[in-house]
Amino acid sequence: MSSIAVLRSKRQKNRAALAKVEPFLFILPFLALIAAFNFYIYFSGIRLAFTDAQGINPGDYIGFANFAELIADKQDFWPAIGRTFIYTFGCLFTQIPAALVLAVILNSKIFGRLRGYLRASFYVPVLMNTVVAALLFRMMFLRDTGMVNWLLGLLGLPDKINWLYEPNLSLLLMIVVSFWQWTGYHMVYLLASLQSINPTIYEVANLDGASPLRTLWQITIPLLRPALAFVSVMSAIGGLMQFEYSFMLFPNAGFGPGMKAMTGIPYIYYHAFRSNFRFGYATAAGWILFLIILAVSLVQIRVIGLGRADDEEA
Amino acid sequence: MALSKPAPKGKEILLGLAKKKKTKKIRHGLAIGVMCFIALFYLIPLFWLFDASFRPKVEIFNVPPRILQGPPWETFRSYSLSSFQVAINRYQMHQGFFNSVLVTTGAIILSLLVCSLAAYAFALLKFPGRDFIFYCILATMMLPITTMLAPLFKVMQSYGLYNKHLALILLYSASGFGVFLLRQYYVRLPISLIEAAVVDGASKFRIWWWIVLPLGKPVLSALAIYQFRYVWNDFLIPLILLRSKNLHTLPIKLQVMDSITIAKDYDAMIATGFIAMLIPIIFFLFFQRHFLEGLSGSLKE
Repeated sequence: MSSIAVLRSKRQKNRAALAKVEPFLFILPFLALIAAFNFYIYFSGIRLAFTDAQGINPGDYIGFANFAELIADKQDFWPAIGRTFIYTFGCLFTQIPAALVLAVILNSKIFGRLRGYLRASFYVPVLMNTVVAALLFRMMFLRDTGMVNWLLGLLGLPDKINWLYEPNLSLLLMIVVSFWQWTGYHMVYLLASLQSINPTIYEVANLDGASPLRTLWQITIPLLRPALAFVSVMSAIGGLMQFEYSFMLFPNAGFGPGMKAMTGIPYIYYHAFRSNFRFGYATAAGWILFLIILAVSLVQIRVIGLGRADDEEA
Repeated sequence: MALSKPAPKGKEILLGLAKKKKTKKIRHGLAIGVMCFIALFYLIPLFWLFDASFRPKVEIFNVPPRILQGPPWETFRSYSLSSFQVAINRYQMHQGFFNSVLVTTGAIILSLLVCSLAAYAFALLKFPGRDFIFYCILATMMLPITTMLAPLFKVMQSYGLYNKHLALILLYSASGFGVFLLRQYYVRLPISLIEAAVVDGASKFRIWWWIVLPLGKPVLSALAIYQFRYVWNDFLIPLILLRSKNLHTLPIKLQVMDSITIAKDYDAMIATGFIAMLIPIIFFLFFQRHFLEGLSGSLKE
C-alpha cells in the first residue's frame, strides 16, 4: 500500500511541476520567434547605428557621427522627412473626410441591398498590391499614352501634362494613388461604426427638425470620434511608412524626378541597398524615423484612450 | 390623382405630402445614380487592368482605349493570352506565383498555430510574468520593423536565412497582432466548457486542441485573412531578403520586370499584376463577410 502512496505522491509532484512549466511551453514557440525576428533585430540595430558599417563589412564604432551627419544634412535627409510629412498630411486630409462623406451617404436607408455592392467596389482597391497600384497609375499617367491626359483632353484641356517627370507633382501623384487605394478602407471602418449607432437618436433629431448638416456636425461626428481618431492614426502611420509609391510609381526606380518622391523609408532603403550600402548610416536614419512613428503611435493610444474615457462618462 | 376642382384643406395637405414624396423619390434616385457613377469611375483602373491583360501588346496603350474604338464586342476579337505567355516564358511568372503561394500558406499556417498556442496561455492560463510578457508583445505591434532594414538583412544573414523563403515565413509568423487578436477572442470563450473539461481530467494541450481551436474558428479565419492580405502583398521585406530569381514572389517579379530600362515588357507586367490582384479578389468574393468582419473586429478593440 505504502509504495503505491509514494508512487502517487511522486506523480502528483511531477504533475505540480508540470503545471508550473506548462504555460511557458505554450508561449515558448511564439516567444522564440518574436525574440529572434523582432527584438533581436532592434537590438542589433542599436549597435549598428553607432558604426560605419558598409554592407557585410561590420565597420568600427564611431559614436554619434551618423546621427550628427543626419541632423546636419539639410540637403537630403530633412527634405525627405519634410516630404514624408507633406505626403502623410496630404493623405490624411483628403482620405478621412472623403471616407466620412461616403460612409454617411452609404449609411442612408435608400441604398438597401445596393449598399453591399457599393461598399465592395470602394473596398476592392484595398485588396490590390500597392506595387500593382503604383504601376497601374504610372501607366495611366504616361504623357502620350496614358488615360488621364486623354480624359482631361475630352474635358477640354488639350495641353498634355508630363505628370511623371514633373518634380513638383510627384508628391501629389502619390497622394492621388493613395487616395484611390485607401479611402475605401477607412470608409468601411467608419460605415461599420455608423451602423452601430442607435437609429433612434437620428429619429429624435429628425423630429426636432435638425437639418442633415447639423445632424452630421452635432450627432454623427461626435459619436464617431473614436472611430475617426482610429482611422486617422492608421492613415498617418501608413503614410509615414510608405515605400512602394515612391519606388514604383515613377519610371526607372529613381524615386521620382530629381528624387522628389523620396520619403522616409525609401531614404533608408536607398542608402542601405541602392547607393553605397551605408548600413550604419541607414540604421541611424531608421532610428530617427522609428522615434517619429512611435510618437504618432503613442498619440494614437492617448487619443483613442481619451475617446473611451468620454464614452464611459456619458 | 387628377384633382382639378378645389379640394378641402385636408386633401390639399395630402396632395402636398404626395408631392414632397415625389421630389424625395427623385432626390433619392439622383443620390443612388450619383453614387453608382462614382463607384464605376472608381473602378475604371481595375476595368482597364482587366481589359489590358488580355490585349496584344500593340493595343494596350491605345488612346482612347481599344475597347472604346468601335463596338466593344468586336474589339474582344483581338483578346489573346500573349501577355501571360511573355510573363511566363520570359520572366517565369508561374514560379513567382508558386513562391507567393508557398510563402503565404506557410506564414498563415505557422502563425495560426504559434499565435493560437500563445494566445491560449495569455487568455486562460495563469503564470508569473504573464501580463508583462503580453505587454511586451503588444509593444511590437507599434514598432515599424521596416525602419530597421539593414539590421534585418544582417540578422537574417547571420541566421543563414538570407535568400530563403523560410526567413519570410518565420518573420511574418512572429505577429504580435495575431496574439493580440486571438487573445481578445479567447478571454470571452464560455468558461464553463473549459472547466468541465478540466474536471474530466483533460490536459491543457487537449483543451487547446479540442475546445479552444474549434470554438475560435471565426477569429482564426479573421487572422488568416489578415495574414493573407499582408503576406501576399508585402514588397519591401522580400525585396531585400530574396536575391535568387527562382525565389522571387509576384511583387518582386514585377519589380524585376520594371528594372529593365529599355523596352519594358509592359504587357508582362500587366499580366503579372492581373494575377497578383485576381487571387485576393477571388478570396474576397467568397469570404467577403470575413474580410469585413476581420477588419472591423480587429480594429474595434
